[in-house]
Amino acid sequence: MTCMIVGGGVAGFQAAATCRALRLEQAVTLIDAENEVGYYRTLLPQFMVGALPEEKLFFRSGDADPLLTMRRGVRVRSLDRSACTLTLDNGEVLTYDRLILAHGGEPFLPGILAGPPCRGIFPVRDLTTARETKSWLADHRKVIVFGGSLVGVKTAVHLSQAGFEVSLVVRRGHILLRALSEDSAAVVEAHLRNLGIEVCVNAAMEDLRIRDGQIDALKAGGRWLSCSTLLVAAGISPDTSFLEGTDLLTDGELVVSPALQTIDPRIFAAGDVAVIASGGEKISPNTWPQAVSQGRLAAENLYRSSPLPHRDWSRINAMELHGLAMVVLGPPLVGAEVISHARPETSVRRELFLVDGKPVGGALIGDISAAGTLHALINAGRPLTLRDAGLLRPQTGNVIRFPEQTGRRKALILSPKRSSL
Amino acid sequence: MKVIGVHMDRCTGCKTCELYCGAERGSEKKTLLAAVQETPPPQPRVRVEGGLDGAFPLQCRHCLQAPCIDACLTGALRRDEKSGMVIIREDLCIGCWTCTAFCPYGVIYPSPKRKIALKCDRCLYMEKPVCVDVCPTKALEVVELEGIEDLLRERRLQTLNVMLANGGEGIRLLDFERSE
Ligand SMILES: Cc1cc2nc3c(=O)[nH]c(=O)nc-3n(C[C@H](O)[C@H](O)[C@H](O)COP(=O)(O)OP(=O)(O)OC[C@H]3O[C@@H](n4cnc5c(N)ncnc54)[C@H](O)[C@@H]3O)c2cc1C
Ligand code: SF4
Ligand code: SF4
Repeated sequence: MTCMIVGGGVAGFQAAATCRALRLEQAVTLIDAENEVGYYRTLLPQFMVGALPEEKLFFRSGDADPLLTMRRGVRVRSLDRSACTLTLDNGEVLTYDRLILAHGGEPFLPGILAGPPCRGIFPVRDLTTARETKSWLADHRKVIVFGGSLVGVKTAVHLSQAGFEVSLVVRRGHILLRALSEDSAAVVEAHLRNLGIEVCVNAAMEDLRIRDGQIDALKAGGRWLSCSTLLVAAGISPDTSFLEGTDLLTDGELVVSPALQTIDPRIFAAGDVAVIASGGEKISPNTWPQAVSQGRLAAENLYRSSPLPHRDWSRINAMELHGLAMVVLGPPLVGAEVISHARPETSVRRELFLVDGKPVGGALIGDISAAGTLHALINAGRPLTLRDAGLLRPQTGNVIRFPEQTGRRKALILSPKRSSL
Repeated sequence: MKVIGVHMDRCTGCKTCELYCGAERGSEKKTLLAAVQETPPPQPRVRVEGGLDGAFPLQCRHCLQAPCIDACLTGALRRDEKSGMVIIREDLCIGCWTCTAFCPYGVIYPSPKRKIALKCDRCLYMEKPVCVDVCPTKALEVVELEGIEDLLRERRLQTLNVMLANGGEGIRLLDFERSE
């Protein structure tokens, strides 16, 4: 009666911890392809550039739990739903009673990198690669970061702060294409340039120049850019190859219900691998907080006769880009109404996207006050009032807009003066 | 679990709690006079909301299902097992501000200069929270969460009695029945 979890990232870890806390008698097995599990993937950029010691990467380890088995360094090769078994790459077959798929995403690598092996090219995703990157970077200080994702931008900033010469090369028209509007991205790009980072947009990867088996230059957007290191942070694509033929995939994606259940009631998914079908929309937030909350919910739902839906599908992401704070409240939508406050002289731009008068996303750049309250408003799913809209003003001090009952308060304050209350 | 309770009717919005929290928990020298001269300026972890027609000191509610803990990218935010308080381990915080976007009350404060997030920890390692100590109207009080309903009932009754003794003034504005 084992609960099996594929993937020892944060979603898998959270799921395992929740399973153990909820069902004290039930054994849990966690399987992960990496040799190390339980680390903060989000801290890899700091680690790579030498700004964070390796021991700070790992989760706190509690007491050893005899009913929690960690299988490291083994990859799941196939799933047999009718027999309820998983086959590992070492040939071992494991039986599950319930299964949580939390195997995250593999870094997306442009086709051009599939050529002959070349030193100095690294994806930004896992600890083993991050260690190699770190030692390579020690004497290869001219770096191109390819990919304008949040990971790419974050990595570029940490490199530049550590004294590397950095170019950020982006395929499309602006950085953070899936997170920010063009206007917000412009504020961030200007800040990156101020930090000394060269930002190249509309620059798809076209060619590589390799010298002595190592990267020497990258041709992107028609221009050759020399470099001694190429870091790829061009997004992720979940590896669903071992699920082929199981009927769990829709167009190659692991699509689940808002309760994170697949079409097989014994199998759930959580974290970066899960694509949630909700209200005709497909959502894959791909954020750390979502991986945590989804991991927990999947574990809670495993034995519920009617699994509960997740309540917060927000794609909140926050970053401190060395002097420029930003919070992404939700991606821009075509056709949405935009309300904004901009103070270009201080690199501040705060905007909300509204659909049918309801806030659905937005971004706070340079001034992140009231971020939590705006997030709560988006979740509330009700039309924005004038009072709410005031939260978007820069330097919002008054973030809780609770309706005041002035009359009541006056009456109550009167009494102590007249008596000894 | 002990938390800081607020007697909303007693708060006059004087911001004494903000000032002293900033000086005691945010400054090096711990006196108001020295604190205002420090850089970076000391930051309080309590904020007085509202204005003249009603004020309210707001600090971390130490939510039982705290969204900020789930959001933290580094494990810096955690629950102190003994006290049940939600605390930030400053040595682990990288100042990414993710948690600030997950607190619906807006009571986690970025400190960009110190590159860490700040929040109320109910002055866990002190005898009594500073804000509770300094509030001139005793609007703040440390209360045991389990006994909160009893406390509220007692306060309502007390207020009712005072109002009855004063010719019923304000009674129609109380949100409970006269029969209580
Ligand atoms: C450098 C970096 C910085 C980031 N910064 C932020 C940030 O600031 N804010 C934010 O919100 N998010 C950030 N993210 C994203 C965030 O880290 C992810 O959303 C989150 O880690 C996803 O967790 P997960 O458990 O779903 O997947 P993962 O963490 O990817 O874990 C999946 C695990 O499954 C294993 N696995 C895969 N296939 C198999 C298989 N077939 N068999 C066995 N094991 C398998 C993998 O080895 C991996 O260990 C960042 C990501 C990176 C890489
Ligand atoms: S910081 Fe906010 S979300 Fe976190 S426990 Fe306190 S009130 Fe709750
Ligand atoms: S700012 Fe600090 S406490 Fe908040 S999420 Fe980031 S690391 Fe965690």
